[in-house]
Amino acid sequence: MSRIEYVGCLDRQYQSQGFPPYKWSQFDSSPWTPFKKPLNESSIALISSAGIFRDDQEPFDPWAVNDLSFREIPVDTPFERLKLRHNYFDHRDALKDLNCVFPVHRLKELEKSGFIGRLVPKAVTLGMGRLYKRTALQNETVPKIVGVLKEQGADAALLVAA
Amino acid sequence: MMARLKAPRSVFVEFPLGRQCGKPDEPELQTKILKDALQVLTTATTPGEIVELPYRWHESFDWATYLRDTEQMLNEEGSEKQEWKPKG
Repeated sequence: MSRIEYVGCLDRQYQSQGFPPYKWSQFDSSPWTPFKKPLNESSIALISSAGIFRDDQEPFDPWAVNDLSFREIPVDTPFERLKLRHNYFDHRDALKDLNCVFPVHRLKELEKSGFIGRLVPKAVTLGMGRLYKRTALQNETVPKIVGVLKEQGADAALLVAA
Repeated sequence: MMARLKAPRSVFVEFPLGRQCGKPDEPELQTKILKDALQVLTTATTPGEIVELPYRWHESFDWATYLRDTEQMLNEEGSEKQEWKPKG
């Protein structure tokens, strides 16, 4: 089975409908901070872009365009209280078991078994969708998310891209 | 996409979108994927490196599968389709 080349497929799909080419982000280098702590002493934060929000929070628009917002979700929130609004992927398996894209139960188990030191109490979720305002995302949204992670003492973040 | 973005440490699982952390109600597989991903924090040495995990989806899938499945999902849920039109 050959691997899906999403960028090419998306480009062909939207350009065939008359949309201008999307300017995909491309970086020449990668930031690096050595990770020195043992995993079993580390605080891990979860970030998801699957459009997940709690029933008392502002919903994500499933067809989001330029949504730069994020939610903070306590990781002990029962799944019955969590909603998923994101139509850019087949979310039916995620609705059966949210751990497919938001693996908090598994991460809590890994904390309990001592594989990781701790899962930080609040996960961060985004909706994303179609995003053109990348500078605003980097300069406005990301520092706020970093703040949420730092105030919880996170050593590393696991980003599950939807 | 991951190769363009160059997150410091990336892990790739060749599963359809929406199942990156594993299959529904398969906690053992989900746990394996997470452990492998988290280990990369301690084993990665090259910024931007992408580690591919060996797990295989139970059936083949491609772009057409993605389009078909997302359309089926919208139909099942009675959701409106996105009606974008290019400007002008």
